[in-house]
Amino acid sequence: MNDEEKNRINADPETAERSLVSLVLTVVELLRQLMERQALRRVDHGDLPDAKIEEIGQTLMYLDLHMDELCDHFGLDRRDLNLDLGPLGTLLSDE
Amino acid sequence: MTVPARAGNRNVALIDLLDRVLAGGVVVSGEITLSIADVDLVQVSLRTLITSITALQPHHE
Amino acid sequence: MNASEDRGVWLYAVMPEAGASALGGLTGVSAEHPRAVTAGTLVAVVGDVPLSSFGEEALRRNLEDLDWLATVARAHDTVIAALVERGPVAPVRLATVYHDDGSVRVAVEQRAADFERTLEHVSGRVEWGVKAFLQIEPEPARPVKSGEGAGAAYLARRRRALASSEERQWHAAEQASHIHAALSELAADACTHPPQSRALTDQDGPMVLNGAYLVDAERAEQFAETVDSCDRDSALLTVTLTGPWPPYSFSSLEEP
Repeated sequence: MNDEEKNRINADPETAERSLVSLVLTVVELLRQLMERQALRRVDHGDLPDAKIEEIGQTLMYLDLHMDELCDHFGLDRRDLNLDLGPLGTLLSDE
Repeated sequence: MTVPARAGNRNVALIDLLDRVLAGGVVVSGEITLSIADVDLVQVSLRTLITSITALQPHHE
Repeated sequence: MNASEDRGVWLYAVMPEAGASALGGLTGVSAEHPRAVTAGTLVAVVGDVPLSSFGEEALRRNLEDLDWLATVARAHDTVIAALVERGPVAPVRLATVYHDDGSVRVAVEQRAADFERTLEHVSGRVEWGVKAFLQIEPEPARPVKSGEGAGAAYLARRRRALASSEERQWHAAEQASHIHAALSELAADACTHPPQSRALTDQDGPMVLNGAYLVDAERAEQFAETVDSCDRDSALLTVTLTGPWPPYSFSSLEEP
């Protein structure tokens, strides 16, 4: 980060906090999505008892809801959570 | 769709313009720019573009 | 022209001798008036620029300043676009600067064959850009059901949504490929550029096609109509046309 960029961010502490929060929530969202896909694979694999499936599903459901609440609380649009890695594309899938 | 006139001065058009003038055109070795010929102009400026636009953009309501 | 300690020569483009007469009235990257330097049967269109802003160190710094870069890029493009109205033009990449006219002449004469090849290739043709975006599916509300089976139901919903998303992306890529093929048929030359960063476009969904097409001038209307029908015919994609552009994307021809 060069001096100009630092100055731009320091001038507005609210933006700085929002950028940090956005970054943290992006990582949380990434983990949530990974867990969800992993869970679906396990469920499809067919070796989980129904009660376990229900438990996993409920946990993920509430995680999802929690993400909405967190984004709401910080005034962020959930769809804005993403990181552009340039040639590597975006961190989270686009859709 | 009628054939459009030259793109006007909008930020959206800027990305298209930079795409072209930085990565397109004949590449001839300048003299003064010889030493920075290795610098990927596209990378340099897109990074600038992303930083500037992201910092300036108000969050969607 | 004598080399000057504090001035450099910015190269805009190269044209055949014929098209470069009377370069009056153009304004360049440093608010200067571009002029012509003869190089064999070709002409280099150049502008005098101060090294204080366009010398090596200054240029390196300035290129990282978006406002400066935007102004200079537009000025560079405006000059080139004006030249294109007079005939075939081989645009030169931004930020190509020399110490003096003599150096410009040498550089252009050394690459004369490449320039001739480019000019031949772009003569009577116009570059158009076509971008296609996958439309974002509005997300259905995720109702929080409590009670028996709510968890399993949630997983079922998510599985459907993910599969649907993957399917859309696959279809989008398919369609983009067909569109590129169809438009390439109408063009003398075509290429694709990497998709643009999502943060910078005004569309919600990801870019699935960033194509450039070199089209005979007489086919401009037909080309635009084809792009339009591609847009109408696709429920998944939004297809947009940009241009006309000077032939930036078709100028760097290497030796065959």
